[in-house]
Amino acid sequence: MPYPTATLDVIGLWTGWVLMLMIYSYPLYKENPVYRFAEHLYIAVMLAVSLTVNFSNVMRMCITPLMQGDITMIVPLVVGLMIYAMLIPEYRWVSRYPIALLVGAGFGLGIRGSIGPNIQDAIVSTITRPTDGGAMAWINFLYIAVGLVCSVLYFLLTYEHSGAMQVPTRVGRLFIMVALGAYFGNTVLFRFTMLTGRAQFFLQVLKLIPM
Amino acid sequence: MSFLANIDRRVFYWILFIALMVPFLNPIGFPIKIAENTRDLYEGITGDSVEPGDVWIINFGYGVSAWSECHPGVTVCAKALLREGAHIILIGPHTDYELTYNHLLETAKEDFDAAEYGVDWVFLGYITGQEAAIAQLASNMRSVYPTDHFGTPLDDIPMMQNVNTWHDVSGVLSSDTGDWGGYFLTMWQEAYGVPMAQIGIAMLGSTGIPRWLAGNYFGMSVGSRGGAELEMLIGEPGDAIIAMDSISVSHLLIVIAVILANVGLLVERGRGS
Amino acid sequence: MSQILKREVVYAITGIVTILMLVEYFFFPESQTWAEMIRTWGIIIYNISLGLGAVRLSMAHSMSVQRRRENWQYSAVLLVALVVMTLTGLAGYFTTGLQTSNVIYNWLFVNVYTPLGATLYPITGFYIFSAAYRAFRARNVDAALMLIAGCFVILSNAPAGEAIWVGFATIGEWFRFTGQVPGMRTFALVGTLGMIAYGFRALLGKERGFYAGGGEE
Repeated sequence: MPYPTATLDVIGLWTGWVLMLMIYSYPLYKENPVYRFAEHLYIAVMLAVSLTVNFSNVMRMCITPLMQGDITMIVPLVVGLMIYAMLIPEYRWVSRYPIALLVGAGFGLGIRGSIGPNIQDAIVSTITRPTDGGAMAWINFLYIAVGLVCSVLYFLLTYEHSGAMQVPTRVGRLFIMVALGAYFGNTVLFRFTMLTGRAQFFLQVLKLIPM
Repeated sequence: MSFLANIDRRVFYWILFIALMVPFLNPIGFPIKIAENTRDLYEGITGDSVEPGDVWIINFGYGVSAWSECHPGVTVCAKALLREGAHIILIGPHTDYELTYNHLLETAKEDFDAAEYGVDWVFLGYITGQEAAIAQLASNMRSVYPTDHFGTPLDDIPMMQNVNTWHDVSGVLSSDTGDWGGYFLTMWQEAYGVPMAQIGIAMLGSTGIPRWLAGNYFGMSVGSRGGAELEMLIGEPGDAIIAMDSISVSHLLIVIAVILANVGLLVERGRGS
Repeated sequence: MSQILKREVVYAITGIVTILMLVEYFFFPESQTWAEMIRTWGIIIYNISLGLGAVRLSMAHSMSVQRRRENWQYSAVLLVALVVMTLTGLAGYFTTGLQTSNVIYNWLFVNVYTPLGATLYPITGFYIFSAAYRAFRARNVDAALMLIAGCFVILSNAPAGEAIWVGFATIGEWFRFTGQVPGMRTFALVGTLGMIAYGFRALLGKERGFYAGGGEE
């Protein structure tokens, strides 16, 4: 997008730039009132956006159909409002009803959907022998198969990790450390990409690089 | 090397912040190798994999903070699908979904300007409710979205007239920072076999690559690196490729820091023994 | 009676809804209408419940301003910004159906929310960097493996890594496509088994953690 020209847009761009520096004053300098101000401003703005967006969604999904004659929409409206009983100590138990419905739906859907990809497909993929790729493919296949078994044994906490369990669980722990290391490597990419985006924005507003 | 631990950490923060900016001022242009998972994703949304008129869902499951990670990949995928003549349904579970939608219209401006709203793409808007919402989207879209984001009833939108359940959708591209891809995986791909790919943040590369290997995802783009690879595949350099040099510098700094820390450890142990 | 309403009825609702979701998928697709209704209600209830955090926060910060606690001025800033943005957003919604049609709301959304949201999360990048030279030390075999895997993945993600030595990309790719797979599959597998076990315990009324906010028994 090109550098804005409208006055309000330019003011907005520089406001964002200043707010960014206010936030970065914390790691680059120290905690200070300017950072606190920006932090509280963000919390307020984020909450306001969340409130208005969710309000409009409730209007769209519940209130409007109710006004158009769908009486059943009274039920989720009333049950949903019961969650605010959490704010009144003597009626806090009323908020358990909407939570019960949400938890029940979450459990039911989670159980029915997770078994396939997380257990069945994972095991099938692990035990499916390679059809091409030569020796390296077989080495990788054995690595994954042995690694999965040993790692799962590591999480078997019903039995003490001693005797016959000692070596496999120790090996499983090493496989898990490799996975965590790779996860850390990906985390670095994620965090630094975000930081890079901010460095780019810093230069774009100063017109040192094109927007 | 213990002197490193005694230096004020703010010095290192400034070094990092300045080092990130230098490659933007003096681009280096390291070559980018394309990973198999990214190539599979691109091939899954182009060529023979997509017929004109196919309906695809793109899920903006990321907020403004993850734009640099996810948005380049989503831009390329949206462009690719529109060029194949597919129809796109855009949804977003983050409260800043509208900002992301407007940003997509800017980054893929030419393709969206050449397309027609309501015919080639539709923006349904905000979705929330975790798995229940995605499960309900599969069985009855109109109960989740009575209207699109702009208030138009779905029955009045040309491309949505025959689209209401998973039957009518050819594929799902979920770009997210955590849970929403998992919901589409369990409620759409696992339940009904709808082809699905992930355009996720880098951390999802760890959980997503095993799923791609198992065949749950037909492709996967991992973070901004995946976005850069997609930009190379479509032949249109964008934000991700531009940022790669800076990302390279930051990564080299991290590795140097880890090496220095461990050299220091070895020196300390040597002194101790 | 009140104990039944506060406990048994709650568990019964959880159990009925869970079983309905399972029955619809595995046994009787004819129950889809009921399941769809429950799911739609669940989405609406979830939407409504998202306001609870805002209400709690507003109450806490209002108390802070009222009692002039330390740093109450920041609470005042928060409350003023929250009220202004919420009211302008609602004004935009009630006039045109879109919050962003209000100029003030849209300006704040684009020029305050976006840069602040995009800036706060990347701060962790700085902390990762300082942790790298202070804390990421291979004191034992486990830590060494973790660091080796991490460094190779970092160098394979960065194009500069392959430019320095092609082996970085090759080995990093191995870690990404093979090395991490057993561990990651294990997390998914045991996590799912744990969720199933936790779900059945909740159905039997043995898990009460998520009802903890509902007061005593």
